[in-house]
Amino acid sequence: MNFRVSLLALSTLPLALGCSSRGSCRGDFCGTVVFVTANNPKTLLPPVIDNTGARDIDEQLFLRLADPDMTTNVVGDANFVPRLATRWEWDDPKTLVFHLNPKARWHDGVPVTANDVAFSFDAYRDPVVNFSARNSLTRIASVTVRDSLTAVFRFKERYPTAFYDATYQMWILPQHLLAQVPRTDWLTATYGQHPIGDGPYRFASWTPGQTIELTADSTYFEGRPHLRRLIWKLVASPAQAVNAMVTNQGDALDFLGPPANVEQVKKTPGLSAIPYPGSNYIYLEMNERANGDSSKPHPVFADREVRRALTMALDRQGMLTSTFGPYAKVPMGPIPQWWSIWDTTVRTIPFDSADAARTLTAHGWRMGADGIRVKDSVRLSFEVIFTSTSALRMQYARLMQAQWKTVGVELQIQPLDQNLVQERLRSGKFDAALQGFNSDPTPASGIVQHWTQGAPEHFSHWVNADFDRLVSDATAGDVTKAKAQADWHAALNIINADAPGIWLAAPDNVAAVSSRIADVKLRPDSYWALAWTWRIPADRLIDRDR
Amino acid sequence: MTTRPTVALIGAIVVTMGIVELLRRRTRHADGWRRFFAHPAAAWGLRILVFFTIAALAAPLLAPFDPNAQPGIVTLQNTAPSWTHPLGTDLYSSDIWSRLVYGGRVSLGIGLLATLVAMTVGVTVGAIAGYTRGWIDGVLMRLVDVGLAVPRIFMLLLAVAYWDRIPLLTLILLLGLTGWFTTSRLVRAEALSIRARPFVDAARALGASPIRIVARHVLPAAAAPIIVSAVLSVGNVMLLEAGLSFLGFGVQPPTPSWGTMVADGQGQLALAPWTSFFPGLTIAIVVMSWNAVGDALRDAFDPRPEQM
Amino acid sequence: MGGRGAWLIRRIIAAAAIVFAVVSITFVAIHLAPGSPFLPPSDRPADPAMIDRLNHQWGLDQPIPTQYVRYLRNLSHGDMGYAFSRGQWVKDALASTIPSTLLLAGTALALDLGLGVILGLILAARARRATDIVLSNFTLFIYSVPAFWLGLVLVFVFADWLHWFPSGFTTTPGLYESMPFLSQLGDRLHHLAMPALTLGLVGAAGTARYQRAALLETLGREFVRTARAKGVRERRVLLVHALRNSLLPLITIAGLSLPFLLTGSVLIESVFSWPGMGRLATDAVLARDHALVSGIAIVASTMVVTGSLLADLLYSTADPRIREHA
Repeated sequence: MNFRVSLLALSTLPLALGCSSRGSCRGDFCGTVVFVTANNPKTLLPPVIDNTGARDIDEQLFLRLADPDMTTNVVGDANFVPRLATRWEWDDPKTLVFHLNPKARWHDGVPVTANDVAFSFDAYRDPVVNFSARNSLTRIASVTVRDSLTAVFRFKERYPTAFYDATYQMWILPQHLLAQVPRTDWLTATYGQHPIGDGPYRFASWTPGQTIELTADSTYFEGRPHLRRLIWKLVASPAQAVNAMVTNQGDALDFLGPPANVEQVKKTPGLSAIPYPGSNYIYLEMNERANGDSSKPHPVFADREVRRALTMALDRQGMLTSTFGPYAKVPMGPIPQWWSIWDTTVRTIPFDSADAARTLTAHGWRMGADGIRVKDSVRLSFEVIFTSTSALRMQYARLMQAQWKTVGVELQIQPLDQNLVQERLRSGKFDAALQGFNSDPTPASGIVQHWTQGAPEHFSHWVNADFDRLVSDATAGDVTKAKAQADWHAALNIINADAPGIWLAAPDNVAAVSSRIADVKLRPDSYWALAWTWRIPADRLIDRDR
Repeated sequence: MTTRPTVALIGAIVVTMGIVELLRRRTRHADGWRRFFAHPAAAWGLRILVFFTIAALAAPLLAPFDPNAQPGIVTLQNTAPSWTHPLGTDLYSSDIWSRLVYGGRVSLGIGLLATLVAMTVGVTVGAIAGYTRGWIDGVLMRLVDVGLAVPRIFMLLLAVAYWDRIPLLTLILLLGLTGWFTTSRLVRAEALSIRARPFVDAARALGASPIRIVARHVLPAAAAPIIVSAVLSVGNVMLLEAGLSFLGFGVQPPTPSWGTMVADGQGQLALAPWTSFFPGLTIAIVVMSWNAVGDALRDAFDPRPEQM
Repeated sequence: MGGRGAWLIRRIIAAAAIVFAVVSITFVAIHLAPGSPFLPPSDRPADPAMIDRLNHQWGLDQPIPTQYVRYLRNLSHGDMGYAFSRGQWVKDALASTIPSTLLLAGTALALDLGLGVILGLILAARARRATDIVLSNFTLFIYSVPAFWLGLVLVFVFADWLHWFPSGFTTTPGLYESMPFLSQLGDRLHHLAMPALTLGLVGAAGTARYQRAALLETLGREFVRTARAKGVRERRVLLVHALRNSLLPLITIAGLSLPFLLTGSVLIESVFSWPGMGRLATDAVLARDHALVSGIAIVASTMVVTGSLLADLLYSTADPRIREHA
């Protein structure tokens, strides 16, 4: 009898626990948004971050001098929004003067000054720090301090995206906190684990491998952010990211991927599927030098015709539809959908496996006994590496493997940890790599960084002087819009013809966001950048918002 | 499904039932076999194992499609079970039944071969340790202790970390080399007890070599526990291989194995649950059969009180 | 104390020797690994001068025996090397993940033993009748099911479809910190339920099978027949006499379950995004981070050895016959 009574008592416990905790937050400045991501940041120090997770977080912790607006037109300075700089003017076509907002403060209370701007420029350009977009700063001659709130940028020449280069790449860093940290240690510096910024959100906590939490800075000079907390939650894989959203454990996921996920989100009440212009693209990069020995040509990829034949053998539209459904397009080069140079009149390599087979045979690759082509006792077989956390890339790899098998090409699939992929790329120890690139608003930095000779993110060893010249013309000082467009068209034709890479897909991005969040705006170049302007109306607050 | 695979399937089922029935009839006077067949689960387990073995051997006959073919990556992906595709198609539009049949070759093959390796090493080490005794025995048994201390999967993970892509043979060897420890203890126990008997000293005096003595006396005595241990081990290895393949470390694409099939279907549980469900169910049923047969064999060799 | 004390000391020494052997073997394993542990943790080009400097600083250019001694010394301070894939020391990476795995494994073990014993009792009580046959086969099935597949099925049914349980993580993101203590406990349990159940069910099936056999064996023995002859009720015979005798080996089972639980955690943690040692191991292998994998292997073996030592200790306390044999 006693046993039964105590059992009854115990059974009421869940009721007591189930009663939601009444948090203390009311009104317009409550709200917690949980961002779900499979990208695990290793550091948050801006010049040395290495993934989009870190970038999204730094976007809230730090400030640029000015940000692009929703049009993301980065030519000239008309479409930029003041952030750290409250206004700017051009003293002459090569001198840009920024006036900083006197109310800007670092989160430790120290005011932000022009010294921080000069210090930041010096750091971002320092080869020891090895900032990944360092090349885009080469046309800035100097950044000097006129007074504590005025920074002067001098350029080496006049060119249309000068303002963009001056502002977009650099989140301003605190000189008083980083000057004493030796630049060689920036990669592992503790500042990166506990950053102090000047943005709308302060760093609150970091559980490695699990969560990063930011809290709103109520004294933020542009206005107090409505959302009290932003939390980044790490999942093991994109499939689980969707799971987390659908079971109400997450509020925002930037990339849903396969159409199955989009459908699932659409069917879930409380979630909205928000499409926005795709800023990324997926491609296969081929190493034209031998795997592990850059002095020798690659037995397969050094030959332009073979690369073209390999491209021709793939049904890119089919693979794309199989993977993305209606939510992507085949790009005509290393470009995402939202770039203005997206040009359907460019000559692209068609899908024709018969022609591909003929070309391969004509170039000495005879069909071998095991169904794989051979030439001078070298099999037409190579390995593709890619980040293991991307189910999308695995899917593409499998699809390409099957398609190439039908023309006698063997693809070996090698998923690896992200760091390992980077290491292989940089040391040239790879055959082919399935890459994805999340672009900046302007083609200049993306294409220059990835496909011109000697560029820091260019791993294929492909060289074409005409291409480099056209790209440099298109981004030069006084180029007119029409001439730039023509130059880009010609450049795209060249890069398609030479096929240093196979352009696989430019997805339409679809994000999933909880419907209770109002004022949701996704800026195309950095989806969550405007999170600090979002809010949750008082009548839609749920438990975790309080 | 078209005619030939359907006929082959029916044929396989008929042959399976026939073989087991034949076995049953022929052995109905033997005590041990009678005890074995007294377990209905064991009989069914045997049928399932025989069926999947036949299926694996006759895969080209039973599979209507090439397991790695992707005939319609847009139109045929993730289709539900139907007459043409009895178990449906997966994310890559490959036929699941065909992949299952060919995957059986890989999964069963790995299970059997790895167990063979494990048993060989285990018997050898156990016999040497038990027969020679002395310091060799000590060293070998300490090695066994170390082997038993590290959870098998961590040993496998450490080994796998050395290869970018594990060749199938290496995987089999690794699975085998991490699973011989318990068997060696069993065989050692038998070897010790046999070694202690007087006739062994007599035989040695007469010049019989140790190998001969081990082969003629130790092994037959240890046969029963070795067989039971082996049968149960196959199921274990299959689960391990499935787990490793599920994580991406075992069998490499495009080779189908039941574990990789479950991994493939992971991303679309809501959309196409059959892609993960069938391979997982198959693993369960086959491992269950190994376990049932192993249990029944244990009873057949050495009946326990409650059976009498 | 005499004999027992000596036996205990012998067992501890043996356990320590095993751990030492594992440590040495993994040391060799790390050194066979290609690549330097000081490759920069991210996408920076390797600076040969820096690598040489670090190699010299950490003594990697010294003869192997010297390195071995230093490795052991570092180990005694808890320094297991640097996990270049995490940007952390191996020790810190482990310290942050072991508690989660222990929580999962511990709960699974409790479920395993609890459910297993109860199920075993039912099976033995209804031996050879319809209930036994059906349940026995079901138990066999669960025992043979791949745990990760079971996890996927359970997630699909209970999380995605019924929404009764969350699909992963240890706590509700964003909400947990502001909950009162009782609710926090509830939230943790809510998230722990499915992964622990998945692991525990498979273990319980095994325990149940063992329990059934052990109980039936005990029931056939002399002293039980005596009890029956004395007119003791069947239920009491089962619960008091038979059960008590068959519970003893459970201690050993519990101790020996540790390898199974650690193995299972590698797979289950992947399915449920559970931030434990298993996930850490999987990521470490993908990154070819040999130092981290070795560190995990050492910790795992130490746990196993300690577990079986504790089991032996408890068993010998409970069963006097063992002590005498020492």
